[in-house]
Amino acid sequence: MAGVVFRAVGKVYPDGNRALSGLDLAVADGELMVLVGPSGCGKSTALRMVAGLEEVTEGEIAIGERTVNRVPPQQRDVAMVFQNYALYPHLSVYDNIAYPLRSRGVPRGEIRARVERTAAAMGLGDLLRRKPRTLSGGQRQRVAMARAMVREPQAFLMDEPLSNLDAKLRVQMRAEIARLQHDLAVTMLYVTHDQVEAMTMGDRIAALRKGVLQQLGTARQLYDEPVNLFVATFIGSPAMNLLRARVSAGGPSLRLTVGEQTLDVEAGRWASVRRYDGAVVALGVRPEHCQPPRTVEPTWPRLRGRVRLVETLGAEELVHLDIEGEPVLADEVLEVVEDADASMVQSLHQGAEERRVPVVARFPTEEAPAPESLIEVALRPDRLHLFDLATGAAIH
Amino acid sequence: MRRSAYTWRTFGLELLLLVVAVVFFVPFYVAAAISLKSASDVYSKPLAFPSNPDFSGYRTAWHGNASSSLGHSLVNSIVITGASVVGLVVIGSLAAYALARRPSRMSTLLYVLFLLGLIVPFQLGIVPLYVALRHLHLNQQYGGMILLYIGLLMPLSVFLYTGFIRALPRDYEEASYVDGASSLRTFLRIVFPLLRPVTGTVIVLSAILIWNDFFTQLIFLSGSRQQTLPVAIYSFVGEYVSQWNQIFAAVIISILPILAFYVVAQRQLIRGFAGGVKG
Repeated sequence: MAGVVFRAVGKVYPDGNRALSGLDLAVADGELMVLVGPSGCGKSTALRMVAGLEEVTEGEIAIGERTVNRVPPQQRDVAMVFQNYALYPHLSVYDNIAYPLRSRGVPRGEIRARVERTAAAMGLGDLLRRKPRTLSGGQRQRVAMARAMVREPQAFLMDEPLSNLDAKLRVQMRAEIARLQHDLAVTMLYVTHDQVEAMTMGDRIAALRKGVLQQLGTARQLYDEPVNLFVATFIGSPAMNLLRARVSAGGPSLRLTVGEQTLDVEAGRWASVRRYDGAVVALGVRPEHCQPPRTVEPTWPRLRGRVRLVETLGAEELVHLDIEGEPVLADEVLEVVEDADASMVQSLHQGAEERRVPVVARFPTEEAPAPESLIEVALRPDRLHLFDLATGAAIH
Repeated sequence: MRRSAYTWRTFGLELLLLVVAVVFFVPFYVAAAISLKSASDVYSKPLAFPSNPDFSGYRTAWHGNASSSLGHSLVNSIVITGASVVGLVVIGSLAAYALARRPSRMSTLLYVLFLLGLIVPFQLGIVPLYVALRHLHLNQQYGGMILLYIGLLMPLSVFLYTGFIRALPRDYEEASYVDGASSLRTFLRIVFPLLRPVTGTVIVLSAILIWNDFFTQLIFLSGSRQQTLPVAIYSFVGEYVSQWNQIFAAVIISILPILAFYVVAQRQLIRGFAGGVKG
């Protein structure tokens, strides 16, 4: 096993398209690093560059101690699981798993032993004679995993390996891959566009947008301290609520004006906020930090809004409110929204015209309000985020 | 669901199919019937059923005349067709793989060149071809004939293979490279097996074209020990007298290998034509 290091790695295609720029990333030996981002963010390109399937046009990539920029894929000693598995359709499961060993000239007896051991570990013992087309999606996924595992490579590269599975199987395989990675202590670079997958699996997460690394950290760090609007919107489901708010930093506390409503919060949390006095910023708050006022301390600032819809999740309720004010229509926000549900972009624009912002709150079941009622939500003051609207960066 | 009934329409269709079948069968009947008649019966009652079959036509045809025997010509046909088809498959698939997977101005140019080869009738170049082969001392040789066919049909082979490879997902090859296989191993173990449907098409099309070709074989092989079935059959057509029972016996003999091949391989062939690559 070995780590994988990106040093100022960039990728420009021959047609001039730039897929990746200045990526600095060090995947530690035995770490599961998730590359996450919307489609076209360069995450798959980064992975394919490690595999040697794409040329590195800028910077360098090292696997272990060795710089591999000019090393052909055959000699990089990495294993890759493709999105559609790329199982060789004319070969049996046994031959598929044995293929990497045969390509490396491993003796026949050893091949048999290793294939059978790996197949047994992946629960494929009975399927060795079958052809890939006769297998279910989950079984194909396991064969692809077994083919990657059988030769104990330096690093595993996973290119959205779960995206072709149904939701239930995805959750199951997600846990299984994370367990395997942990048990075998292998270095794994895992690409996904699914932020839930990224949050649940990764030791660390690298969030990418338009070929640029936005934030690198643990799931907790990305969730609690997003460095910019993009990460704030992309990580978390339902996404962080964002409202345009005018800052008044003259007084002892910080006053934020959303539409006609004002919120007074302690200014101490944001050292640089005085610079934004009089300016409009993006106020971010996650759904679980919007609570019914009755259940929280009276000092929490509040916002009034009309209930549009209440969704029951069983353990809690998702309350959708319309609050008077203006939504944040920054590019990075719209991009994430569009990636998830293109029709939402239109409704955000419409909301802007009608001066209303959709806000989602997580309420305890017993506090569920009636639809169309006017209610107040209390915002947890130490979990409010402020972002510069010009740069998208978090205000500290 | 409506119960399917035997209607007048169905009856009409069946009748039509029967007529078509008879129309197709008649030439075979005529050939087989005449081949089993003695030289005199051929003219007196050509279409009658051969009540006492006479195999002398087959015997004479098989042993042949001074210049060639049918048995020998059969071997020649098999050797030339077989070797040409192997060449077309091996070289065609490799060339097409390079053209399809290495996009460059050069490969586009070469591809267009192959397409031109499909369009331009080769008969236009028959004289220079003949002269060239004679200079190379490949005239009236297996090698020359095989080389000629590989060259003539390579555009077809490359065209079919290139189209298929372009539609083939690259993932299999990329997986193979990451799995540690060389380019050659990837081609032999992964790509070539995946090309099976189009390889079937190339084999059948080129084999039929070569096996049935008369013009080129007449020009390059007639009178030599290497002459093939169509040329040998032609040699029974005399200047003044045609031995029809011998000619048809020879025709029947020349059909048999193709028929046998089809009977043995038909399931494979149909599967090859019908099936694509299934993951």
